[in-house]
This record gives sequence, structure tokens and C-alpha cells, in this order.
Amino acid sequence: MFGRWIVDTAFFLHTYHPYQRSKIFFYNLLENQHYRYKKYFDFFMIGLIFLSVYILVSSVKHELPQGWLVFNNYVISLFFVIEYTLRFWVYSSNSKTIIEQYERDLFLHRPFSFFEAMKSIFKQKMEYVLSPTAIIDLLAIMPFFHEFRLLRIFILFRVLKLFRYAKSLRRLISILASKKFEIFTLIVFTMIMIMVSSVLIYMMEANNPDSRINTLFDAVYWAVVTIFTVGYGDFVPVTHGGRIVAMMIIVSGIAVISFATSIVVSAFTEKLDEIKEEKLIDSVNALKRMYLVCGFSPLAHEVIRKLHKRHLPILILEKDPQKVALARREGLLALAYDSASLHTYNLLKINFEHQVEAVILLHESDVANIYAGLTIRELTKIIPLYSVLHYLGNRKKFSLAGIDHIVNTHELVGSMSRIIAHQPVAFEVIHALRSEQTSTIIDEIILDSTVGDRFYKLLNDPLFYQRFSVLGIFSTSTQLFHFNPNPERGIQPGDVAIVIANRNLIDEFRAKLHRRGKV
Amino acid sequence: MKHHCAAIFGYNEYSKQILKQLKGSYRNIGVFVISDAEFLEAQEDGYSVEKFDLSDNWEEIEVRFDVDSLIVFCALTDDAENVFLTISLRATFEKLFIIALAQDNESMMKMKSAGADKVMPILQIAANVIADILGKPIMTQVLHDVLYEDSDLTIMEMEIGANSPINGQYLHDIHFKRDFDLILLAIVDQEQGTTFSFASKGQNHHIDEGDILVLMGYKDKLQRLKKWNAGVDACK
Repeated sequence: MFGRWIVDTAFFLHTYHPYQRSKIFFYNLLENQHYRYKKYFDFFMIGLIFLSVYILVSSVKHELPQGWLVFNNYVISLFFVIEYTLRFWVYSSNSKTIIEQYERDLFLHRPFSFFEAMKSIFKQKMEYVLSPTAIIDLLAIMPFFHEFRLLRIFILFRVLKLFRYAKSLRRLISILASKKFEIFTLIVFTMIMIMVSSVLIYMMEANNPDSRINTLFDAVYWAVVTIFTVGYGDFVPVTHGGRIVAMMIIVSGIAVISFATSIVVSAFTEKLDEIKEEKLIDSVNALKRMYLVCGFSPLAHEVIRKLHKRHLPILILEKDPQKVALARREGLLALAYDSASLHTYNLLKINFEHQVEAVILLHESDVANIYAGLTIRELTKIIPLYSVLHYLGNRKKFSLAGIDHIVNTHELVGSMSRIIAHQPVAFEVIHALRSEQTSTIIDEIILDSTVGDRFYKLLNDPLFYQRFSVLGIFSTSTQLFHFNPNPERGIQPGDVAIVIANRNLIDEFRAKLHRRGKV
Repeated sequence: MKHHCAAIFGYNEYSKQILKQLKGSYRNIGVFVISDAEFLEAQEDGYSVEKFDLSDNWEEIEVRFDVDSLIVFCALTDDAENVFLTISLRATFEKLFIIALAQDNESMMKMKSAGADKVMPILQIAANVIADILGKPIMTQVLHDVLYEDSDLTIMEMEIGANSPINGQYLHDIHFKRDFDLILLAIVDQEQGTTFSFASKGQNHHIDEGDILVLMGYKDKLQRLKKWNAGVDACK
């Protein structure tokens, strides 16, 4: 009966949206590095840690107001208690564990084992409690019990909490963790060296009245100071035997330092590429809007050069590391990932709807472009897909793959050949306007009914008269192009003017169009 | 010079598309290829095809076409061979109108140096179109309709004749927009060479015989201007 009630409650919580939503929210806030509000939470906690340590240091020599101490002992600690509890909560899902146990038992035709479910829950939660970061969290809460004055020193554990919030510190730990075996060997070697040399120096020096090394603690202190090549000089061996030990330990000390340095350096060297990649992924996640270019072909190179003028970031995904290296040498943001793999987008955590303006498929083969297109279409139906088509016979396949805009260079050249053969000058004019190689360009100006009068008045302004050509106005609502428009037509909602002029003049026109005041 | 015949060098995806576009416009079209495979393919597709090598023997061209009214497309897939072909043709036929394909801007410069009159840089053309579709989709659509579709709105280049009423006038004295419902895009000044300048820049330009105007407008209005330019009292 009790078991049934537990299972029902677990099912209820598992399907109760407000509960699940709040759990996801706190999980994101505490654990999800890509959650947009996490950084604010981290900054807040870092602020509390610094404040706490400042109050501790200030209280050593100064009498602080009672309010400060209360704030430090209770308020800050309370935040840490809440944080610890929330982390404990979101670490695992009890309801899910109970349901899994219930379904397993149901499948095997046996009664629900409440004890087994509780055991699994306990195991999961203890996994959290015994993790190094959770232990630090717990120790950082200890000053809450400020009656035990000694526990005040635990405030320093709050500094260790910084590892949780500062990514670079976490990275440092993970790099050093990759050299666990070497570090362990070094520690064992150093400990043996300290033990042997301190016992030896004690034996040589303890009975000599001129020597200051009188206890085993003095000997250990001397050994540590010497082996790490500090050598304060407050304790020095005076016997021949003691000096021989000193010489041995100084030489060993150099070995220890060299070994330690080499471990750290090799760990960083080995992880350097990984760190660089992580930083690149971080910078991708920080982008608000971008073009995603799949494949780094010569055409992609050219398209990117053109797109750079739009001042919108561009991310390149290319499988070939050599091409990625080439793109990076050009100062482009390129990652060596397969654009046709779902794993890539999960790993990069790209939010298509919020981050991507358009996807441009520029691989050198139609197969690769279709494959990448289909992968992206699985993730989003909204984002426009543009692709180059290499073989005309594949056009239908591209449409079926959900690619919105297809460009075939053979068709383009064919169409242009007719113009260039009959009207070569006109072709050059249009090519020059489109390639933006000169200061005169062709551009679009989005209009709305509020700028109607102003638009036509500005065209007669001496600054723009005869220097600013309006080819026509395209109405997005009727899909009609009104060539050489008459002012009497006015401006309708959704109108776009196609203009030719010097690029600075176009910018000035745009600015004046939306500036208040008389024309 | 009006061209009546066309010779296309190479038979690949680009030349196939060029042939598709030129088919109805020229009374004599010849395809010239290097390999046997290209020869057979072009022949199967029903084109009049000849083989050639990159030596200087262009007798076939002289026999088959009136060189003065011939337009040549150098559309070999290899840029180096295309440059060589262009320079060989130019060395033999000084006045031949040569259009060459180039993979990129670098090859385009070489084609121009080799003597091509016009060069189509494939990568740049495709990149311009892709970037324009992304950034200026409406402008791209409008230009596409004007240039490649059979729409009333079109683009025309017009040479100023000796009897043209425009001859001898200043650009700012002629109101193409107001009087003809046309928009002047650019002008080529014969005195300054073959490069053009945009109309928005050179309003003080003095129009002389031989200058070329590039205009956009509806076909009927462009035709009226053309007649008027030819000295026929047709409009205004």
C-alpha cells in the first residue's frame, strides 16, 4: 500500500509540469554552462565569496559592526545552504529512479521493491555528497555554526568554491587531473625524500649542541624548506654528516622541481588544442546572430569575403582539418566538425532559431550538401537553407531535401553569356554594381508609410538630386516592382526601394530618412 | 558590331548552358573541342562540332565564319589552357570579339592580359549572387527578372550616333527619368577609353558621338529613345 502510494507520487511528480519546469530551471542555473542566466548567478556567488573573505580578514584586527558578522555568518551562509540543497535536489531524479524500479519489477512480474528504489536513490545522492566539490560546498557552510570559533577558518573553503564558478580554474583542475599518475608519483617520491632526509638530518644534528635542529619537527621543516629550494637559512646543518645530507637533498630538490614543472608543462601542451577548441566553441555560443557556412571550398571563401561586408559573424564547419587551418589563417571562425552530423550540433549547442540567420551549404559535392541540408532540416524547419548545386540533374533532390535557395554556377554563366554577348557594357555595369568593387553600389532601402513624404522630398534635396537613382519600389505585399515610381503612388507598408548611388550617400539617405525635422 | 555567328570552345557543363542560351540568337554556331569524348557528346547533342588543338592553325575558323561578325566563347575547364587559347586567337584575329570564362579573379586578370574582351569570373559571379540572395533578396529578384527573364522591364546599351539629338549635350541637360521614363545607369566615354562611369557620378559629362549609354526601362520606351537617338522624329 505504501509502495503504491510512493509510485503514484513519483508518477505525479514526473508528469507535473510546474515541478519539472522549476527543476530544469534550477539545473540550468546551477549546472548548465550554456544557460544564458548562469553567468549572472556565478557572478553573484563569486561576489558573496569575496565579501565573506573580506569580512573574515577585516575581523582579524578590527572590531566589526555586529550587522556585518550576522550578514557573514547567517545571510551568506544561508545562500550557500540553499545552493547546496538545490544542487542535492537537481543532481538526480528520485521520481525517475522510483518509476524505473517500478517498471523493472512490473516487467519481471514481481512486487515493487521499495527498499531497492531507496537504495538506488541513496547511492545517487551519496555520489553527490561525496564528490570533492560538494564536500567543499559543505565545508563552506560550516561558519554558519559560528559559535565554534575554530570553524571560522572554514570560511577559507568558500574561496575553494571559486572553482565551481570560474571556468578557467575548472579547466586548470581538469588539465592537472589528466596527469594524476605522474603527480601521484611525484608526491610519493617527494614524501620519501622528505622522510629519509629529515630522519638522516635529525640523526646527524640532534645531539650536536651547536645545531638548531633539535627535534624531528625541526628536521622535517628543514627538509621541506630545502627540497623545494627555498632555503630560509634559519636552520642550517653544522656537522659534516648533516652537510652531506644537505647536498643530497638540494640535488634531489632540483629533480623534484624539474619533474613538477615538466608535468604541468606537458599537461598544458597536450591539452592546448583541446583548450583552443573549447574557447572557439565558447565564442560560437556567445554569438547572437550568425551565418553558418558548411564546407570551406574556394566558392565558400569568396562568399565569406562578400558576407563579411554585412558585419554579421560567420561560422564555418568543415571536416578537413587542413581546410580549417587555412580558414583560421585567414582569421575566420572555423571548426573541424562534420556539418552533416547531428552530434556536431549537439556538441556545439547551436540554437538555430535564435543564433542562425541562414545556413549556406558550400561543399564541393552535391552529396555532401544534401546530407548536411537534411541534417539541419532535422533540427530546424524555419532557418533558410542556401546551397550551391554542382550537377543540374540533382536539382529535384535538393528541393526534396528542403533546401530553399539553389544556385547553379553553370546556369548562371549560361544566363549571363546571353547578356554579355548582346550587351557587354551593360553586363559589366551590373557586375560592377553587384560585386561592390567601386564606391557606387546597388542596394535596398526598407520603407514604411511614416517616411513616405520624406522619401520623395529627399530625392529633390540638392545632396541627392541626380546623384541618387531610385530604380523602383518593390511592394512585398503585391510582389510587384514599380519602376521609376511616381511620388503620387506614395509609400505603402512593406515597400522596398532599389537604389543606385555612392555607398556613403546611401547611408546618409537612410539616416536622413529616419531623422526628425524638416528636409 | 552585330555578331551573327558564335564559336564555343570546349564542351562541358558551362558551354552546354551557353549554347542553350545562344541557340536562337545566332544563325551559325560552332562547337570546338579538344578530346574525342567531347566531340562525340556534342555531336550526339546535335551541334556542329569540330576538333582543334592549341596550335596556331585557325583556318577552320576563317573558312567557316565571317570573323568580323563572330563572337567566341573560350570555355575550356582548365584556366591555363583557356588563357593559351585566348592568346592564340587574339594573336591571329585582332578584331575578334572574345569572351572567356575564368575560375577566379586571378585568372580573370590573365585572360584580360591575353586579350579577352570580356571575362566571366565564375567564382565571383556565383559568390555575388549567393551573397546578394542572402543580403539583398529583393534587389536580386528584381535584377534577375530584368536581366534573365522575358519581362517588359529590361536593360539596354545605346551608342550615340552622329545625328543623335543627344550628341553634344551635357548629361545634366537630359532628363531621362522625367522625359523618357528611363533610368540611366552608366556611360562609356569613347574619348576616355572603354571603361564606364556611373551616371550618378558624371552629371557634367559631355555626350559625344560613340559614347555608350546603359539604360533601364520598359522595352517600348527604350525603343522610342533608340529611334530618337537614331535621328527619327519619334517621340518626346
